Amino acid sequence: MSRTSAAAFRYEPGLSPAPSSLRAGLQRARGLLDVKFRRRGEATILESLRQEGCLKARLTRPEPGSWTCLVALNCSGGVAAGDLLHVVLEAGEGARVTLAGQAAERFYRAMPGSLPAQLRTELQIAPGAAIEWLPQETILFNHANLERELDVRVTADAWFLAVETLIFGRTAMGEEVRQVRLRDRIRLRRDGQLILQDAVRLDGDAAALLDRPAVGGGARAVATIVHASPEAEAVLDGLRAVLSETQTQWGASGWNGMLVARICAVSGRYARSAVIAGLAALRGARPLPRVWMC
Amino acid sequence: MKTEALIRLLAWLSPSFPTGAFAYSHGLEWAVEAGAVSDEPSLLGWLSDVLAYGSGHTDAVLLRLAWRTSDAALAQVAELAAAACPCRERRIETLAQGEAFARAAAVWGSPRLAGIMQAGPVAYPVAVGVLAADHGIAEDAALAAYLQALATNLTSAAVRLIPLGQTSGLRVLAKLEPVLLRVIADTRAASPGDIGGACFRSDIAAMRHETQVTRLFRT
Repeated sequence: MSRTSAAAFRYEPGLSPAPSSLRAGLQRARGLLDVKFRRRGEATILESLRQEGCLKARLTRPEPGSWTCLVALNCSGGVAAGDLLHVVLEAGEGARVTLAGQAAERFYRAMPGSLPAQLRTELQIAPGAAIEWLPQETILFNHANLERELDVRVTADAWFLAVETLIFGRTAMGEEVRQVRLRDRIRLRRDGQLILQDAVRLDGDAAALLDRPAVGGGARAVATIVHASPEAEAVLDGLRAVLSETQTQWGASGWNGMLVARICAVSGRYARSAVIAGLAALRGARPLPRVWMC
Repeated sequence: MKTEALIRLLAWLSPSFPTGAFAYSHGLEWAVEAGAVSDEPSLLGWLSDVLAYGSGHTDAVLLRLAWRTSDAALAQVAELAAAACPCRERRIETLAQGEAFARAAAVWGSPRLAGIMQAGPVAYPVAVGVLAADHGIAEDAALAAYLQALATNLTSAAVRLIPLGQTSGLRVLAKLEPVLLRVIADTRAASPGDIGGACFRSDIAAMRHETQVTRLFRT
């Protein structure tokens, strides 16, 4: 299986034009996290860790019943237009890793003509290994411009779980997102075959769009949960049962060794409760990472 | 476009072409039961969204990619199209129609379509794109016919489900014309990165349909 090396971290021409704002001397954050875990006996241990720029990672203290947990931190305090953040995580055979985000990530206003903020996360899960990607909410500010990719490579017997929650303006602060450009793509490959490409593409007046009937029906927060494992379809009923207890509009489906759930909520708070309930149905008794509890 | 090509396009995208389209509601059956679609204005709103920000847009990009793509890369387009479905029933809807379309189209002959069908499942817009390209049907014309057939099929499903009078359904169809034109114009520079949308509630409707108790439609 090929793996993107950390050395390949650079501006990707496929995503957008050359970084003119960088040439213009505007200071933009860059961050790289390149981490490998492997299994030793019953434990999952760090094999290598590379941190560059504004991205840092720390291992949390082991907790009973939890997997090895790495928390990613963006020290730049939010993401601005033109920022480049790249996370590469590999779990070797039999390793089990939780990768969590330290806090909700804010995506600030982009000046007209500026480059999008670009986030790329690559997860590679070896046979018998498991990775769960549990960032916290993505808070989009008015005029945010974000391109985000989550690329996952699994083998048939690997276990994978991810959640992405988009919040369009903090409703408690009376914020409305009247202009946004968002490209948010999850790609899942199993044994080399593309089995899921879930792409959110939203341009313009997000509040007006989200008020539309088949778009958001008035939602201001949208969460997507993706799970792949040999048992994925067997846990679908449990997921549906917990989501039906939440104050959200939700749907969940399972096919082809995968499970996808979508949640629309009037605010981030309701989306979060539903996400936490949904995760509990998929993660069993394992507690959520501590950073999620604050 | 030659008249012969137009005749074929009309045949392939006509409601009587055996793709089984009448059996699929694209989640509308759940949206009607949930009360999200209940009359002419709400139907127009829902279908406008699905066409402009949901499957209409994504299918348009896929059809264009399939039309333009050379043999070697067609399998990739087919793989992408099958992976772009957000839930089980959407996948059934597009792959079953793709297969039925390809089987019926074999009467006219399309070795390329037969070839990619052997490699794996082929989504409906991909099958239409390949066949149209093989028979010299212009890309925009093929896309217009595809989107019109989609709009007609969903309107017809809603007319039965709500229920609505036939004239109400036709008014919705007429009002969807500018939406179809916009999708056709907006997708001309189609690249694989343009796939995607924001029809979260339409996705939810399709997912919830899977457990809907009383169902007339397969999706």
